[in-house]
Amino acid sequence: MNIQEGVQAHVSAEEFDVRDYMRLDLFPHFLCPGCGHGMALRAMMWALYENNISMDKLAVVCGIGCSGRLGAYIDSNTFHTTHGRPLAFATGLALARPDLHVVVITGDGDCLAIGGNHLIHACRRNVNMTCLMLNNEVYGMTGGQVSPTTSADRYTTTTPGGNREPVFDACKLAEAAGAGFVGREVTMQVPTLKDLIKEAYDYNGFSFVEIMSDCTEIFGRKNQLGESAEMILSQKSSTRPDSYGTKVDDPFRPNALKTGVLVKGVRPEYRDMNRPIQPVQPVQKD
Amino acid sequence: MGAMMKNPVTNVLIVGVGGQGVIMISKVLALLCQRQGFEVKQSEVHGMAKRGGAVFSHVRFGEKVHSPTIPDGEADVIVALEWAEGMRWLGQLRPHTGTFISDTQTIIPPFACRNRGRDQEPVYSRETPAEILGKVSQGYAVDAAGKARALGNERAANTILLGILSTAFDFDSEDWLEIITKFVPPASIDINRQAFVAGREWVKTASVPDDGAICAPVPVSRAILRNEVDIVPQWCKGCDICVRMCPQKCLELNDEQIVTFPRPDDCTGCRICEWLCPDFAIKVHKIRAPENPVVQTRMMEA
Repeated sequence: MNIQEGVQAHVSAEEFDVRDYMRLDLFPHFLCPGCGHGMALRAMMWALYENNISMDKLAVVCGIGCSGRLGAYIDSNTFHTTHGRPLAFATGLALARPDLHVVVITGDGDCLAIGGNHLIHACRRNVNMTCLMLNNEVYGMTGGQVSPTTSADRYTTTTPGGNREPVFDACKLAEAAGAGFVGREVTMQVPTLKDLIKEAYDYNGFSFVEIMSDCTEIFGRKNQLGESAEMILSQKSSTRPDSYGTKVDDPFRPNALKTGVLVKGVRPEYRDMNRPIQPVQPVQKD
Repeated sequence: MGAMMKNPVTNVLIVGVGGQGVIMISKVLALLCQRQGFEVKQSEVHGMAKRGGAVFSHVRFGEKVHSPTIPDGEADVIVALEWAEGMRWLGQLRPHTGTFISDTQTIIPPFACRNRGRDQEPVYSRETPAEILGKVSQGYAVDAAGKARALGNERAANTILLGILSTAFDFDSEDWLEIITKFVPPASIDINRQAFVAGREWVKTASVPDDGAICAPVPVSRAILRNEVDIVPQWCKGCDICVRMCPQKCLELNDEQIVTFPRPDDCTGCRICEWLCPDFAIKVHKIRAPENPVVQTRMMEA
């Protein structure tokens, strides 16, 4: 690493204090002990700080669920919407107020099950906003029901014999639906996650970031995955940065989940695609 | 100068070019400290300093020494047998309390310096002794090679620096001389004894330079005095992530499952606990030294 870069990162970490961006009167927050959503929220605010995005120009749209409650703690313009619909609300908001920086915080159930329809259409339309999907593999707030991303054979309250359904890969879904920017990272790598979110903020168009979070209390305990520290460490070791390419350990870890920037393409943003409406010419009759 | 003994472990870093006597200084110091009842650890690398390698020796002594190598920026004394080598290692000096002892002789390597054309000045350390001594709290710049040459043998320059180094500690002069006698060849015992005494005498007679050339203080990136971890106990939910992830194991949960910071001396300020705390209960503050160090002693050739 360049020495100068190292010094820059050092100074940034020194000056950034996440508490400056929070509604501290609501603390301590409602999340369970060891929930990865807190680390994801820190990375999101750190990326805002490093990208010099003013809190007055930020609009956070949240759905329902554990991830949906995060918006309440951000000291900015936040919008708590109905279940599965934050992307639909955010599309309208981004079109009406192009000056705002729109960020959607949503969960795996919110984004893929109930709002799956809205996700694929948001990817298709490519409106300029960032979607952060916090994937903890379970519906935590409602008591631990199975979600589209629950891994095979995991126990939840609705799968007492283990999950038999195939798993949704959210990143592949977003890519197939046409998202221009797709990324994935685990919560344990907070500085790397921050860099990924920064890149997503900068992207002109719809950017989708899947954040692998841990649900210790509802999901981990039922599946005997250990405490929070063990869960985040095993998440880290089961992923493999995409930037490694085909180097070194690729043959030995064929099933490891890819992290980092997975897709970054150039697509026209929604407003650039819009052509002015041509007035209809009345049909001349002889 | 006995003040440095207040640290539990005293770190001495000896650097130079191959063949100057770096290892001899460190052997003398190590054996002396051992005889005085300290635990001593010494470790060295000898290679081609002037071709990009390093010749240095770490000597650490104290009541209990665990590691043979000196942590970054914690050398209490640096003894440099060549000026540019001293510049190379200056960043390892402990800010505000470190002692810098250097020979002002220059050995310009034929291959490591640029501007190789005919009649070109070689590129070399441009810092003058007065400039550098303005940046350290205790600095001694001496033309040891010239003094040794005046005594009759240039190779005794390291013993002159050893004499200056000896004033940094409270050990008896005779104890030093006894051990030096063991390590030098029999034919050069006399000249080394003279050189050692000359080094000790020089400290008494040397002059303090005027402050005209003083420039910027020591680089602030090294000058972190200590780290403080600010914990909001009302927000902590006792998830144990910070305790388990801390590389130095300086955090602990108390009886009420709230995180505490019982071992602040071990903290390196890496911020892993701050980043991984899901409850925003931890903030790491690096307490930095004041920008201008207090200059205590500076001596150079009169």
